[in-house]
Amino acid sequence: MKLLPFGPRAVLAEFGSLAEVMAHSNAWRAAQLPGAVEVVPAARTVLVVHDGSLPADALFPVAEGTTVAEVAPRMVTIDVRYDGADLAEVAERCGLSVSDVVELHSEAEYTVAFCGFMPGFAYLVGLPPALHLPRRETPRTRVPAGSVAIAAEFASVYPRQSPGGWHLLGTTDVELWHDDAEPPALLTPGTTVRFRSR
Amino acid sequence: MIRVVNWGVAGSVVDAGHAGRAWMGQSRGGAVDLASLFLANRLVGNPEALAGIESSGGLTVFFEEPTMVAIAGAVADVRVVDGPPVGWGNPTVVPSGSTLRIGRLVDGARVYIAVRGGVSAEPDALVVGADPLTPAASQPAARAALPSSLRIWPGPRLDWAADDTWSQLLGGTFTVTETSRVGVRLTGPLLRRARLDELPSEGMVEGAVQLPPDGSPIIMLADHPTTGGYPVIAVLDPAAIPAAAQAAVGVRLRFSR
Repeated sequence: MKLLPFGPRAVLAEFGSLAEVMAHSNAWRAAQLPGAVEVVPAARTVLVVHDGSLPADALFPVAEGTTVAEVAPRMVTIDVRYDGADLAEVAERCGLSVSDVVELHSEAEYTVAFCGFMPGFAYLVGLPPALHLPRRETPRTRVPAGSVAIAAEFASVYPRQSPGGWHLLGTTDVELWHDDAEPPALLTPGTTVRFRSR
Repeated sequence: MIRVVNWGVAGSVVDAGHAGRAWMGQSRGGAVDLASLFLANRLVGNPEALAGIESSGGLTVFFEEPTMVAIAGAVADVRVVDGPPVGWGNPTVVPSGSTLRIGRLVDGARVYIAVRGGVSAEPDALVVGADPLTPAASQPAARAALPSSLRIWPGPRLDWAADDTWSQLLGGTFTVTETSRVGVRLTGPLLRRARLDELPSEGMVEGAVQLPPDGSPIIMLADHPTTGGYPVIAVLDPAAIPAAAQAAVGVRLRFSR
């Protein structure tokens, strides 16, 4: 772990792998560090934003005792209609049949690594390597809300309509962001996710 | 009840936003210049985080009941029809049937209007909240000039920029070319990236100064994406964020340690 300066009210911890990021961000969130306002995991870093009172070395004692399985995960199952606009193209580019793609996507178990892009947009790890594809060359200007999608090593669901460059495999009716709920996001970092074909 | 006749430029109801949701992809939101919303609320005797109105000009509201209002943030051309004038920082009761119009902004980028009791947004009307039962300010607030020098700290990816970047930031003058709730784009001495490869997206804060490949830095504000892929070369001191939020297009800024 390497700590990088981020002004008087934040520190950025950099790691060598996404697995370390997930372990540390979950541990720091669970530890309820005094003065911490935000713990923001990303691909290789965890940003800790605080009220000015958290010394950077407060992160070390928690970091030393951190293992991946410390926080009991929430479990979420998402029902999917595999009717996505890119389903056939994904199958062709991966050298698979459409039913193979559906089977691989719906039989894997995923974990939310981090969120970003828009409120409630979760980056799920656990996508079988046979489905890893770079994002689309040309992003769509409109991806419908509830689109179940994949790109590179990640799977996700679009919480609302937006532009997007991921490959669309299907659709769900599940609400991913509810402003009045606590937490408002269905898929928070650390949550275990499964997709079920409907 | 307050009727919004015209929302104008970037008009909306704002409160202090939500801290603690960045891990779910939602940044703070709320008032871009939080200090000015807080001041306007204090002037009318409200708890400082109550919802008020943010506007970059062109806003027209009609009052259906006598209402105490106060204006802070940018200095604007403010007109009241069928009511007394409302000066900057001066809590004023406007009568039922009066109309308040925020015209052109003279100094600053965002005006804040607090209403005694706060407001909640309905589709075409703003409902005024219960009286806070605390006294309004007895004196108008004095307006401090916006500082033109913003204090910065080194950012986590300063080493992704050329060696002279920190001295360029501290020695140069930058001009605001664009401002929105997401951030402020600047032009000035050309800042060069030392590394052009792609940085995996990482967490952002308000006041983070990102350096895109085109060399024009961007200061992140209240609606910034929670993660971003441009290297953060500097971070504004939290006390300097309101000044960045009020920097209108064309304003010249300097940075200091």
